[in-house]
Amino acid sequence: MELAWGPDEERFRSLLTAFLDEYTPPELRGGRDWMSAAAEDKANGDIIPEWSRKWQATLFDHGWMVPGYPASLGGREATPTQTLIYMEELSARGIIRSAHFPGYAIVAPSLLEFGTESQKAMAPAAIRGDTIWCIGMSEPNAGSDLASLSTRASKDGEEFIVNGQKVWTSYAMAAQKCFCYVRTATDVPKHKGISVVIIDMDTPGIEVRPLRNIGGTAEFAEVFFSDVRVPSDRLVGRLNDGWRITLGSLAHERGGLWVQGVATTSHALDGLLALCKAKGLDRDPTVRRRLAAAYEQVQSLRALGYKGFSSYAQGSSAPEHSYLKMATSELGKSLFELGVELLGPFGPVNDAERGEQAGRWVRGFFMSLANTIAGGSAEIQRNIIAERLLGLPRG
Amino acid sequence: MDFKLTSDQELLRDTARRLLAAECPPAAVRAHIEDRSAANGLWGHLAGWTELSSGSLVDLCLFLEEMGAVCAPGPFFATTVLWAPVAAAVGADPQTSGTVAMAGASGIWQPNADPVKTFVLDADRVSQIAFVLPGPSVAIAADVQLRQVETLDFSRPVFEAHVPGDSGAPVAPAVIEDLLERAWVGLSAELVGTARWLFDTTLAYAKSRVQFDRPIGSFQAIQHKLADMALAIERAVAAVYYAAMTIDAADPERHRAVHVAKAAANAAAHRAAKDGIQIHGGIGYTWECDLHLWMRRAFASEALLGTTDWHHDRLADLVLV
Repeated sequence: MELAWGPDEERFRSLLTAFLDEYTPPELRGGRDWMSAAAEDKANGDIIPEWSRKWQATLFDHGWMVPGYPASLGGREATPTQTLIYMEELSARGIIRSAHFPGYAIVAPSLLEFGTESQKAMAPAAIRGDTIWCIGMSEPNAGSDLASLSTRASKDGEEFIVNGQKVWTSYAMAAQKCFCYVRTATDVPKHKGISVVIIDMDTPGIEVRPLRNIGGTAEFAEVFFSDVRVPSDRLVGRLNDGWRITLGSLAHERGGLWVQGVATTSHALDGLLALCKAKGLDRDPTVRRRLAAAYEQVQSLRALGYKGFSSYAQGSSAPEHSYLKMATSELGKSLFELGVELLGPFGPVNDAERGEQAGRWVRGFFMSLANTIAGGSAEIQRNIIAERLLGLPRG
Repeated sequence: MDFKLTSDQELLRDTARRLLAAECPPAAVRAHIEDRSAANGLWGHLAGWTELSSGSLVDLCLFLEEMGAVCAPGPFFATTVLWAPVAAAVGADPQTSGTVAMAGASGIWQPNADPVKTFVLDADRVSQIAFVLPGPSVAIAADVQLRQVETLDFSRPVFEAHVPGDSGAPVAPAVIEDLLERAWVGLSAELVGTARWLFDTTLAYAKSRVQFDRPIGSFQAIQHKLADMALAIERAVAAVYYAAMTIDAADPERHRAVHVAKAAANAAAHRAAKDGIQIHGGIGYTWECDLHLWMRRAFASEALLGTTDWHHDRLADLVLV
């Protein structure tokens, strides 16, 4: 065990910080709370703001978008440890790579792993943000039980004909392409009849209806498909083999996915500490104890992330990281909730003149509710931990 | 930041695990309830390992974690974690058995003038006691008036000890500060070991106990409890070894990390004990089932050297500056 990073890692960090010092856009500087900022942008109908598009392209062109990739894919062939340092440095500065994550983080890696040559060629634009992607997964009757999806793709000569409905499809209203999970067989166990097709969003028969979320903004949508014709060369991977693509994400960065989760809780905690000082609540012994308990949670989860990374970096599986999504999403929710509670009567006030920090805490709490639902609910996470990590029998 | 064990550290852990499995089975923990000398054989095997006290804290913690996992009785913790650093500071022999008397009537571990010290661990099984007195100063004594104080934990007896008449030798305040920081982390390492045994035992029970024609571990209510226990242990283990690394590196972060470690280890052990007994159901409530022995150790260690609230209060002082 060793606390310090080596000299190679520190050299990499100084290259990165020099780049960030020079190129970070003003929207991401000065500790701007980008989650709130993104909410404001979305409220203005700007689902992927212009600064985000430019920033993503700048990162790509300088090899800092996905450092683990080669230069042709917006990277610099960084090692896993260098990639972790990249994640660390970005989150310490409160910097995001893009307001639009599905393209670079999920679609591009899946295309590169499972796609044909012409599909692989779509990856650079996805990573640079030149093509906006949405991912058609959940359906009204296929949420946690994703394998029950029923959007049908039937073969008709050299085309698929797609009929059905997706929901919670993030960025669908801005997307040019959809990475869509469809049912291609019904006479087999449900997860063996799923395929992935790439659908151009301007194909006739697609209707996108933005869906306002609990906070009142729309960043996801319902997508309806009526006799949508998709060329058969848009099939990704083999027919009926789509289920394993659901498991794909950015393999280069799997060891560092937890960093953002921990950083979100860490920023919320910093905000809470500042709030308590500003309001004199830091003299209340009960409040002090609760803040210390929150600090304990954030720091122990951060340590757990690094511990998992040590296993990952030597090629072992990192069970630690399975715990972190669940733990950081629940912690984030409780920190924003604590912020609302500490504001007392002003907790629910969302008024620029009367609300503390213009309702940051109550708005953050609303947004944080998504984190224990999206991408596998906290309950599903516990089922997965119980069955896959602890080896308990399926319920 | 690397949590990977070196091959020497893996060897240390595996050797400790093998040794303790052979020399400290649950039957020995039980025998020690009625007869304190039942732990003498184990101490004979452990005496050679006390030199871990002068090496890295990570290494010592690896050993202590295994000690906690078998609920080992005897003065190993008192000697390696408490006695050895104080003895080294005042020129006494750190390798002989010893313990430290510091807490007074309040039970809080800080130098004080109280004539009777409390929570003196294993005082009747060690050859010397270091009394930490105001100043701070340290007085070493061998012949001390002791009274055993009954606690719920049979595995680690505690005593009240009367402060001897002679005044102590002055030590730098940093000696006592370092002693306490090491002790918090060392006890936390033991606690995560204890928590791990409680969890592993409960997990195995949930897989084998059949009700309604299936293992109870297939029920979501049980699965989610176990997932939460596992998370508490995972984050505590990470916090403990992170804290140990910061101490080994003399990193300034250690002053906060030590409190995080004890609070996290307390939480993990408490949850593992409480939910472990709940998942065992009726059998977990019996004297015959070993669980309560580990629960007793967990609860006693949770309160020892600072409760969670106490550590959170210290942490708040450091974080809310």
